[in-house]
Order: sequence, then C-alpha cells, then structure tokens
Amino acid sequence: MMRLDRLPNQRDDERVVLFLRRHWFAILSIVTAFVLLTSIPLILGWYFWDTVDAWLKHEVLGPVIAIIGSIYFLSVWLFAFLEFTDYYLDTWIITNERIINIEQEGLFNRTASELDLASVQDATAEIRGILQTIFTYGNVFVQTGAEKARFHFKNIDNPEHVKELINALVEEDKRRLSSLGAGSRGKIKTVIK
Amino acid sequence: MFDLPNFNIPVYVFLFVFLAYMLFYVLYSLFNIYHLIRYGIYGFGLYLIVTIFTGGTIILVSGSVFMLMEYDWTHTISFGDAVDYYNEDLFPAL
Repeated sequence: MMRLDRLPNQRDDERVVLFLRRHWFAILSIVTAFVLLTSIPLILGWYFWDTVDAWLKHEVLGPVIAIIGSIYFLSVWLFAFLEFTDYYLDTWIITNERIINIEQEGLFNRTASELDLASVQDATAEIRGILQTIFTYGNVFVQTGAEKARFHFKNIDNPEHVKELINALVEEDKRRLSSLGAGSRGKIKTVIK
Repeated sequence: MFDLPNFNIPVYVFLFVFLAYMLFYVLYSLFNIYHLIRYGIYGFGLYLIVTIFTGGTIILVSGSVFMLMEYDWTHTISFGDAVDYYNEDLFPAL
C-alpha cells in the first residue's frame, strides 16, 4: 500500500503538490456499461416474464438458465471491477521535486516512472473534442530535454491548470537547484514490475 | 431410418461448469484485491472499494446459490427424448 506522505525514494523536503487520476468521466463510462449490461437482460426478462418463468420452472432448462444467468451477472460485476481497478491504480503524483507516473495495464502489467522536474523542458496541455471541452479534461505531455520519451497524463481534469502548475514548479525547482549549485539531474527512470 | 443412442446425463453436471467458473472468479477476485491493497493509495477509500466489491460478490453468489438450490439436480436429461423438450409452452410464437 502506498502512502502519499511516504513516497518511494522520498527526498528530504519533498512534498506532494498534486495527486491525479483520470477524470471522473472514465468512471462514468464504466458505470454506464455496467448499468446497461445488467439492466438490459433484466428488462427483457421482465418484459417476457411469462416465457422466462416457464423456462425457469422447467426441470432441465431452469437450472441451465440459472447457471448461465449467475455466470453472466458475476462476470459483469467482476469485469466492471477490473476496469475500476485499472482506473484506480493509474496515478500521477506531482511533488515539488519530481513527477511520478504509475500506470496499471490490465491486472498483470504495471509501470512506474519518475522524472526530475529540473529536466522538464516543456509541458503541453491538450483538450480535444466536444466531450473534453464540455467536461474540461484532456491530456498533458511533459517533454524532457535529454530524452525523447514524454510523460503523458491521460484524460486528467483541468489539464491547463496542471500544465501551468508543472511549469511553475519546474521554474521553482531550477531556481532551487541553481542556488544549491547543482546541475540538472533529469532522467526518466522506469521500473517495470 | 436410424436410431440415436439414448444416453442420460444428470443435470448436476452443469454444476461442475458453475464450480469451474467460481474457481476462476475467486482467483481473479483475489488477484484484483491483492493489487488494490498492494498498490492502492492508503486511506478510507481503499477499504471502501474492497468492501463494496466483496459485498457485491457475496450478494451475487448468495443469490445464485439460493436460486440454484431450488432445482432438483438429480434429474436426468435423456437425449433420446430431447424432442419432447420442445413445446409451445416453452417456446411460444412471439
């Protein structure tokens, strides 16, 4: 279990400035799919109740339908929850010294990367399409000088604000490092578990 | 013309399918909960999520078990009489 007050490899004076997950619209997609997949068979069953009731009372069809129904509803519940876990474990943590990106892909692939703020050269916010414009969510790309790889904050809330915050923190971190006489430490470090 | 062999299977063979699925479900759920607890952010929300998932699973499995308990699983399916299962009560014209 990760604690925001005890980050992995936390440095002295490092504090969490922003903790991000994908926009709640991602949750809405999961909930909508779950509601549709559960309600449609229930509504059909209710509408054709006389037929369904006869099937359920049959000594052979009844058990088969009951088992198929149980497996169906348990599967919908399980896969909705797997999708939720994928959403819940995708996180971005911005501290006053670095950016940490933790990405869950399915149940068995997980990537954790971190990036020193001093190495950030450019942050870009992107809002595309009607939904992203209405609900004010989108992507932020963080580009470093040394590396071609970019940090990608996917479908986060208020990307413009996040971009400005990153730029402000980068400036602050660069000032802090130059006052200490240290150079850029910037590298993307990736750990795949 | 020709005779199909008339073999019987008990209805409870379908329960093995359900049990196999439940094994898969339990394994996948445990993996899911492990991931949430191992990599989730510490806090009340994490416990709430695990509780909701476990509670939902308990309700669905209990509902399934109560529903399945109502059937006579010793009944046998006779493939020779399979045609008898088709009737207008079960498959009415829509």
